Amino acid sequence: MIGHAVARLRASVMAVVFGLTSGTGLFVATTWLVIRGGEQVGLTLGLLRNYLPGYSVTWPGAFLGFFYAAVVGGVVGWVIAFIYNKIVARRSND
Amino acid sequence: MLTQPANSNETADKSADAQRCVIIGAGPAGLTAAHELLEQGHRAIVLEADHQVGGISRTVEYKGFRFDIGGHRFFSKVEMVRDWWDRMMPDDFLVRPRLSRILYDDKFFDYPLKPLNALRSLGLLESIRIGISFVTIKLFPYREEDSFEQWVSNRFGRRLYEIFFKTYTEKVWGMPCSEISADWAAQRIKDLDLLTAVRTAFLGNRGSDGKVVTSLIEEFNYPRLGPGMMWERVTEVIEQRGCPVEFGNRVERVNHSDGRVRSVTARTDEGSREVFGSNFISTMPICDLFEALDPPPPEDALQAARDLRYRDFLTVGLILACSDPFPDNWIYIHSDRVRVGRIQNFKAWSPEMVPDPSKSCIGLEYFVQENDDLWSMADDDLIALGAQESASLGLIRTEDVIDGVVIRMPKAYPVYDRDYQKRLDVIRAYLEGLPNLQLVGRNGQHRYNNQDHSMVTAIYAARNIAGADYDVWGVNVEEEYHEETSASQSNGASGERLVPQRLEESRAARVLRDAFARYDAIALGFALAIPTAFGLFAATAILLIKGGPAVGANLTLLSNYIVGFQVSWAGAFIVLVEAGVLGFGFGWAMAKLINAVVGWQERALIRRLERHLVFEALDKKVS
Repeated sequence: MIGHAVARLRASVMAVVFGLTSGTGLFVATTWLVIRGGEQVGLTLGLLRNYLPGYSVTWPGAFLGFFYAAVVGGVVGWVIAFIYNKIVARRSND
Repeated sequence: MLTQPANSNETADKSADAQRCVIIGAGPAGLTAAHELLEQGHRAIVLEADHQVGGISRTVEYKGFRFDIGGHRFFSKVEMVRDWWDRMMPDDFLVRPRLSRILYDDKFFDYPLKPLNALRSLGLLESIRIGISFVTIKLFPYREEDSFEQWVSNRFGRRLYEIFFKTYTEKVWGMPCSEISADWAAQRIKDLDLLTAVRTAFLGNRGSDGKVVTSLIEEFNYPRLGPGMMWERVTEVIEQRGCPVEFGNRVERVNHSDGRVRSVTARTDEGSREVFGSNFISTMPICDLFEALDPPPPEDALQAARDLRYRDFLTVGLILACSDPFPDNWIYIHSDRVRVGRIQNFKAWSPEMVPDPSKSCIGLEYFVQENDDLWSMADDDLIALGAQESASLGLIRTEDVIDGVVIRMPKAYPVYDRDYQKRLDVIRAYLEGLPNLQLVGRNGQHRYNNQDHSMVTAIYAARNIAGADYDVWGVNVEEEYHEETSASQSNGASGERLVPQRLEESRAARVLRDAFARYDAIALGFALAIPTAFGLFAATAILLIKGGPAVGANLTLLSNYIVGFQVSWAGAFIVLVEAGVLGFGFGWAMAKLINAVVGWQERALIRRLERHLVFEALDKKVS
């Protein structure tokens, strides 16, 4: 009978993956609207400037959004891994 | 050296001798084998290296005081053995009440443990600590129960484990509980856990599932002069029937040729002698037997025998000028400030173990390795240590110690380490080539069995010589000898005692275990819940703090999913709770789903491996 090990999350990997995914996601979302163009480009997405100072649905905003989202996503990924590992360790009495 | 005269009478004697069975060792197994051979109409001779019968079941007499090596209750589930004992000593068994306790932190606890007694002795503060420890381990158990420490802690809490299990177990087996396999605990303790024990204390011996927990052994039979009395009696009986028991005969060579043992060469005080026989039964330690084989066995078999490990034992016997130091038969010492593991009070076993009713004798048992510091210590120093330790425990007064004796018992316990079974397989494979040599008894088979189990192996070996076909290695290895067990699980026959084994896990199992690691659903649930909840709380709060004419018109759309949500301070707390719950559910479900897929992949891989192994085996058969 084989017992099961409990998987751990590597915080640095989670931070990089979440950071890159979030950054790329916002970058693509922004540039997609910019490329499509129109009269009022990205009114709703532009509301993100409430949380990301200086962000706008423009080409420079796409790069700034990538940076912001990468940082926030990285922090969230790291926090998720940190909390998960702490709880696993506590529940396993490590 | 004893020479063999070569006249015709001697030749005839030698020929007659060649038809007898030579038994190596006059312990319970050797003497039982001799007795059974006589019953079957065969001749036998017993060669004993020591000058006393009984092996580890002997009773050592010192100035009229008797010391048992370890305390041997005469209790067996084998009717054949019980009858045998009764026939051998119909009038000399005493039925003795049992009292055994644990001494911890200068307080006594009933053994087997009784919860109310334990809690009373531990006190309110310690009881609360134990309770907290128990609740904590139930909330956060060891996920994997590989070791004795993890297994016991999960059932009793870490605090109780430290008090009642850790110290003594480590003293006896000489290894940390974290390195002892959990199997041993599972077999020894079975269904018992703290809640069962507490329930039993209040409701009687009935488990939650209705199974009856067998009553503990509250009394036992004991020969009035100790267990050695039994084996001295057996010696008298077999000698009267023509089977000599020859002392001071240390077998140094086992001579064999053409697939049969022909004779053994024993060293005596006068020199060496060769003893011929047609069959041979050995109870000597396997490592010594294999060193004695001439010609020597192949290197792998010899190495396997050399690699068998043992735990040794010494008893410091103290004679006391007081009639009754304590009422117990024996006391377990759960204290790491002394090295003694258990203390016997032989007068409580039988009043006839002491010649003078105003005195008593106790035995301090130390579990050691041959040649370690305790084993090598001078007898006087050991006696002084024993007196000092038992006085420091509050059991005796040093001024009451009037004399002492040290009894060393090498190879008292066979150790079941990681590879012992593989070594035994190699050893047994070699022995199949010597069919007239049978191995019985504790050291003969390297099995930690009781004397009744040893006796059964010996009886079977003797009957094999008479024409039967018993597997002496297969004598009931599953029997339980714990202090508390479920009646429904008893196999009802003799058995060997269980000994701890070191943790073992094959490399392949470890690789599979790690490769198919599972996610902890609770942990992933919380890990997603916390950032989600606080993220949305922060998002709401930021908008509220910034203010403006239409605060959070878009964020308010979340109310489609978060019931009652709005961009307000109340809404911030609502989203904190509801997003937390949703985040938890999402993380939990994600972990469960991943685990299900990983499990499916693992099972598929194992099925493929099994198929591969089957085909490989079939290929070998076909070719």
